Amino acid sequence: MLKRLLLVRGSELVMFALLAIIPLFVQSGYALGLLTLLAIYGILLIGLDVTVGYLGQVNLAQAAFLGIGAYAAGIGVTRYGIGIFTAVLVAAAICTLLGALLALPALRLDGPQFALATLSFTALTTIVLNELEPLTMGAQGLSLSRPPLLGRTLTSRDFYWLCMGFLALVWMGMRNLLSSQWGRAFEALRDSPIATDAMGVGAYRHKVAGFALGSALGGVAGALYAFNFQYLQPHAFVYELTVILLLGVVLGGRKSLWGAFVGASLVALLPNLLSSKTLFQAFSAAGFAMALFAGVRGLSQKSLKPFQAISPIVATATLLVGSMVVKNTEDWRKAIFALMLFSVVVGLPEGLMGFATGFLARLFRVDPPPLPPPAPLDEVLPSRPADGEVLLEIRDLKRWFGGVKAVDGVTLRVRSGHIHGLIGPNGSGKSTVVNVVSGLYTPTEGTMLLRGEPLPIGSLFRAARAGVARTFQNLQLFTGMTALENVMVALRGVYRVPLPLVLLGFGRGEERRAQAEALALLAFVGLEGQARAPAKDLTYGAQRFLEMARALARRPEVLILDEPAAGLAHPDVVKQVEIIRRIRQRGITVVLIEHHMDVVTELCDVVTALDGGKMIAEGTPAEVKRHPKVIEAYLGSEAPGDADTHPLAPEPAGG
Amino acid sequence: MKAFLAALLCALAVPALAADTVKIALTGPYSGGSAPMGTSTRDGSKLAIAEINAAGGIQIGDKKMKIEIIERDDEAKNERGALIAQELASMADLSGVIGSVNTGVVMAGDKHLQEKGITKIICPAAGSASMTQWAKPDGPTELSIFRFAAHDGIQAAMVVEEALRLGFKKVAIFYDSTNYGVSGRDDLLNQIKKQGDKLEVVASEKWNIGDKDMTAQLLKAKAAGAQAVLIWGIGPELAAIANGKAKVGYNVPLIGGWTLSMSNYIDNAGANGNGALMPQTFIEEKGISPKIDKFINDYHASYKVERIPSPVSAAQGYDAVLIFVEAIKQAQSTDSRKIKAALEDLKTPVKGVIATWTKPYTKWDRSNVETHEAFRRAQTVMGKVQDGRVTFSNPADRDRLKAQAAK
Amino acid sequence: MPESIIAQMAVSGALMGLVYALIAYGFQLTFATSKSLNFGQGELVMVSAFFSLTLLTLGLPYLLVVPAGLLFGAAVGMAVERTGVRLALEQRSEGWILLTIIIGLFLFSFAENIWGRDDRPFPTPIPSTPFHVFGVDVTPLEISVLVGVLAVMGMIELFKRQTLLGKAVEAVAADRDAAELMGISATRTVVLSYALSGGVAALAGILVSPITTVGPTMASALVLKAFSVAVVAGLESGFGVVVIGLFLGALESLASFYLGSGWREAPGLILLILALAVRPTGVFGKAVIRKV
Repeated sequence: MLKRLLLVRGSELVMFALLAIIPLFVQSGYALGLLTLLAIYGILLIGLDVTVGYLGQVNLAQAAFLGIGAYAAGIGVTRYGIGIFTAVLVAAAICTLLGALLALPALRLDGPQFALATLSFTALTTIVLNELEPLTMGAQGLSLSRPPLLGRTLTSRDFYWLCMGFLALVWMGMRNLLSSQWGRAFEALRDSPIATDAMGVGAYRHKVAGFALGSALGGVAGALYAFNFQYLQPHAFVYELTVILLLGVVLGGRKSLWGAFVGASLVALLPNLLSSKTLFQAFSAAGFAMALFAGVRGLSQKSLKPFQAISPIVATATLLVGSMVVKNTEDWRKAIFALMLFSVVVGLPEGLMGFATGFLARLFRVDPPPLPPPAPLDEVLPSRPADGEVLLEIRDLKRWFGGVKAVDGVTLRVRSGHIHGLIGPNGSGKSTVVNVVSGLYTPTEGTMLLRGEPLPIGSLFRAARAGVARTFQNLQLFTGMTALENVMVALRGVYRVPLPLVLLGFGRGEERRAQAEALALLAFVGLEGQARAPAKDLTYGAQRFLEMARALARRPEVLILDEPAAGLAHPDVVKQVEIIRRIRQRGITVVLIEHHMDVVTELCDVVTALDGGKMIAEGTPAEVKRHPKVIEAYLGSEAPGDADTHPLAPEPAGG
Repeated sequence: MKAFLAALLCALAVPALAADTVKIALTGPYSGGSAPMGTSTRDGSKLAIAEINAAGGIQIGDKKMKIEIIERDDEAKNERGALIAQELASMADLSGVIGSVNTGVVMAGDKHLQEKGITKIICPAAGSASMTQWAKPDGPTELSIFRFAAHDGIQAAMVVEEALRLGFKKVAIFYDSTNYGVSGRDDLLNQIKKQGDKLEVVASEKWNIGDKDMTAQLLKAKAAGAQAVLIWGIGPELAAIANGKAKVGYNVPLIGGWTLSMSNYIDNAGANGNGALMPQTFIEEKGISPKIDKFINDYHASYKVERIPSPVSAAQGYDAVLIFVEAIKQAQSTDSRKIKAALEDLKTPVKGVIATWTKPYTKWDRSNVETHEAFRRAQTVMGKVQDGRVTFSNPADRDRLKAQAAK
Repeated sequence: MPESIIAQMAVSGALMGLVYALIAYGFQLTFATSKSLNFGQGELVMVSAFFSLTLLTLGLPYLLVVPAGLLFGAAVGMAVERTGVRLALEQRSEGWILLTIIIGLFLFSFAENIWGRDDRPFPTPIPSTPFHVFGVDVTPLEISVLVGVLAVMGMIELFKRQTLLGKAVEAVAADRDAAELMGISATRTVVLSYALSGGVAALAGILVSPITTVGPTMASALVLKAFSVAVVAGLESGFGVVVIGLFLGALESLASFYLGSGWREAPGLILLILALAVRPTGVFGKAVIRKV
C-alpha cells in the first residue's frame, strides 16, 4: 500500500515539485514561455482526453473551445475589466454551456458523424470569431494585457506558477473524478451506450456532462492562453490545431493524465525539438530502434500482424533517413509528426504512456490496493416478499417496423416472484417484446404497467430506473473494464456524494462501499475470484454470469434474461440454472427468454409461447409443450399434432 | 519526459555558445501566402551579409567579426511569432533582428524584444499598427523597434493621388479582414478626406485570407458603378480578385498597396493581372545604376531565379542589413542597446539599392512615429504590372532615379 | 439588388456545389462498402491536382493529363485504404478516423515541400471568358465542371449496376457478411471503392483547379463542404448528393452575397450539425433500427 502510494503519488509530486522550482534556476524567458505553454496545453489535453479517451469519441472541437475560452477572457478583460480568476471562471462557464449545447446533437451520434459534427463546430467557431468584428475585432486580432492579480502585476514567472497551479488543480480534480463512478460511467459509455442506459446510468447525461467538462477545461486553458499571448486572432484556433491536439492525446496515451501531459509536451516542444538537427536525428534513431525491436519481437512471437509490425518500422526508417537527407527539418514538421503518430497509432495503440506504464508496472510490480470484504448479501440484494400479485402487465402490445408486425397484440401478466418463460421460434417477437418493455423500442400501441403504474416507454434509462433490469442476447459488457467495475457501474443507491465534493476527493468512502457491494454480487454468481480480471478476458460463460451480476446491481423488481444460456456449454448451463434459482429465492421476478426447453421446463412457473408476433399459448411448461399450436409453430404445419412422440428439441444456440 | 528534458536542455544551451561573430536573426514567413515577401527579404538580407562576410566581416575594435545568421520561419502565425520572439529575446549575445511581414506576428512578438531591449528592424511589414502600437501617450520612451518599409500612410496617399490623377469619381474599396487590410482601408479613407473628398466610395468590401471566390464582392462593386478598385490585401487573394473581375466582365483597374507586385499575384492572375498599379520602393529593372544591376544579377545568380519573387522586399532586406551593419560599426559593439543608439543617430550615409540613406532614424518620440520610420514619400514610385513584371507606371520616375544615381 | 445578380450568384454557386457533390460522392462510395471514409480526402484532392499540374508543365496534353490524374488519385486512394483503413476495419475499431487524418497530414506536408506552399495557376485549354445564357454569365470552365461531374457519376453508377464487379460492390454495401459468404472478397471490394473514391476526388481537383488555383490548402474548405453535402444527403444515397450539392452551392453563394463573404461556409456547417441532430441518416438516407 505504502509502496504504491509512494510510486504513483510520489511521481506526480516529484514532477510538480520539479516544475515549480524550474523558474528559480532558469532565467531564460523563452524556456519559461515554453513551459507556460506546456501547462496550458496540459490542461487542454486533459480536457480533450475526457472525450477521446474516456468517451472514446474522435473530438475535433477542442481548438474551438480553446479559442472561445481565450476570447471570452480577452473580451471580459478588455471590455468589462474583470480579473484573472473571474475571466477563467467565465471562460469555463461559457465553454461548459456551449459544450453541452454541442453535445445535444452529439447524443445521437458516434464515430465519424461525431467527428464531423465537432469538425464543423470548429470551422463555425472560426467564422464567428472572424466575423463578429464589433466584439472580437475579427482578423485584426484582439490585444489585451494581463490584469494584475490581487493588486500585483504578474511577471512571466508568476504567470507560469499560476498556470502550473491550475494544471495541478485540474490534475487533482480529474484524478478524483475519473476514479469515481463518473469515470466508470464515461468508460461504460464508450464500450456500450445501450448497456449504460439499461443499467440506469444515463448514457445521454454522462455524454453531455463528459463533453461539457472537457470543453470547460478547454475554456480554462483558453483563458490562460489569452493571458499568455495577450494577442488573439481567430485563425490560431483552426482545424490544424485541433488535429494536432487530438494527435497529441493519442500519441501521449489515452485515458491517462500522464499521457495528456506527455502529449502536451510533444505538442508544445516539438517545433523546438526539430530546430536542432542532431537532437532530431538521435530522436528518430531511437524511435527506429524501438519500432524494430518491437516489430521483430512481435513477428517472432506472432503477437502482431505483419502490417502492424512492419509499417512502424518503415515509418520510423523514413523518419531516420529523412533526418539525414532533409536540409531544413522544420519545413517537414507536419510530415514528421504524421510519421511519428502513424507508428504510435499502429504499433502502440495505447500511446507512449500506455506503453510506458505497462513497462513500469512490470519493473516495479505495484500491487493494486486490496479489496474490502464483500458486503452481506442481505444488504446488497434484500429479499423481496413474493406475493404472487401481478407485477408486470402488458396489454395488447404492438410494435411494427414499417410493414413488419414484429409484435402484434401481445397481452402478458407476470406475477411477482415467478419465473415467467417466453418461448417461440426465431422471429416470433420474443426479443421485440422485451426490447419494448426494457425501453429500447417505443411501442406502436399498447399499455405496460409495473405494479399498476405505467412503465416509462422508449427509454432504456428510465425503464431501468423504474425497476426493470436486463441482460442481452448478444453480450453488452463494458469490455474495457474489470468484472468488478462492470458491476460497480450499475450499483443503485450507493453514489450520493455531489460532484464538487467528488472533485475534491471526498468520493473515496463510497467507493469502498461500492466495491464491497459489487464483490458480494460477484460472489453471488461465483465470480468473486475474478473481480480484477478485465471483462473481455473472462470465459464466455463467465461473461454471461457477469451480465447477470451487473443487472442484479440495479436491485430490480423485474429481471429480463434474454437467452442467457445461448451458446453455453452444458456445465455452465447447469451453473446458470442454479444462479437463476437463487435469484428467485431473493424474491426477484424473472422474465426468461430461452430456447433450451429443458432450462425452461426446469425453471419456469409460467410459459408464454409467441409466434408471428402473437401469443399462441400460455400455461405451465408442461401444458405449453403439449399445445398443438406450439408444436406446429416449432415443427411446421406438416408435422403431426402428437406431442408425446415429438418432444420439443432445443434450437441451436444464438438464434 | 526524456525527450522533453532533452529539448529543454537544448533550448537552454543555445545562448551559452559564445563566439567571435555578430549574431543577427532573420525572421519572417517563409511559408504561406506572404512567403514571397518573407523569403525575398531573407534572401536579400543574406546577399548583403554574404558580401560583408566575403569582405572579411565588420571591423570592431581590432578584430573583424563575421555575421552569423539565425533564421526562423514564423509561418505568418502569431503564436509562432511570439515563441520565436521569446526565444530571440532570451539569447544573450544577439545583436539584432531583421524581418517580419505580418502585422499580427509583429503585434504578438515585438513586445518581448522591446522588453529585453533587442534592436529590431521590421522589414518589410507595412501595416500601420506595428509601429503605432508604441506611439501612444503611455508608450515607451525608449524603443528598440525600427521599421524599414514604405508605411501605409505614404502608400495610401499615393493610391488616392493616382486614382484622382486618372480622373476617377467613384471607387470601390476592397480589403482583407486582417489588421493589414483594415488599417489599409482606414488609411485610404483618411487620404480621400485629406485630398479634398473628391472620390466617392460606392462599395466597401472585404474578404478573408484563403478566399478564392470573390464574385459577390465584385458584382456589388460593379452594380454600384465603381470606376476603380482601391485594394489592400496580399498576393493570392489579389489574384483571385483580378481573375474574378475577368469572369464577371468588370474591366476597371486595381490600384492598391505594394503587395500587388508580389509574384503570387502576378503569376496567378496572369493576363488578368495587367494594369494593376501600386507604390514601389524598388523596381526590378536593369540600367538604372550599376549598383542596382549588380544586386539584381547577384540575386538571380544566387537563388537561381529569373525574377525576384518580391523585388521590393529583397531590396529592403538588403538595405536594412547595410544600415544595421553601419550602426554596428558606429557603435563599435555587438551590444544591441548600443546599436539601437547608433541607429537613432547614424553619422555616415549608407549607399543602398533603393536610395542613399542619410540619417534614416532619429531619437524615438512617442508622439511622432516617423522618428523610427526610414521611408518618406520621395523613396517611393508608382509601379505597374505589365506582362508578368512590374515596371514604372510613370517613365519620368525612371529618369529621376537614373539622374539621382548618376550624381 | 437586381434579380440578375442574384440569379448569377445562385448559378455560379450551384456549379461550384457540383464539385462538393463529386467529393461527397467519393465519401459515399467508400462508406457504402466499409462504413469508413477518408478524413484526409481534401489532401488527396490537392496532391492529385498538384500531380496533374506537374504533368501539364512537363508538356503533356490536357486530354492525357486528366486520365493520368485520375489514375494517380485512384492509386493514392488505394494506398490510403491499405495503410490507414484496412487494419482498423479488421479490428472493427474506429482507428481509421485517426489514421486517415494522419495520412492527410503527411500528404499535406509532402505537397508543401515538393510543390511549394504557394498557390499556383492551373493552365487549361478550356477558356474562362464568360458567355451569356438565360440572363447569366457562365464560363466554359464552369460548364466543364458540370459535364465532368455528371459524366463520371453516371459512369460509376452504370458500372455498379451493369458489371459483375460493380454488383459485387453493391452486394458488399448491402450486407458485408452475406456477400462474403457468397464468395465475394469484401476486402477487394473495399479496395476498389477506395480506388474509385480516389479517382473521383482527383477529378474534382482537376476540375476545380483552373477556377481556384492549386495550393496545399486548396481543398480544406472544399472538403468541409463535401462532408456537409454527404451528411445532409445521407451517406448512403446515390444521387442525393447532386441535389444537395447544387442547393448548398447556391445557398452559400447567396449567403456570401447577403451576409458578407466571411459567412460563406456557415450555412453548410450549420446544415451539417442540424442534419446530424435531426436526421443523422440524411435527407435521402434510410432510418436504421438499433439492434441488441
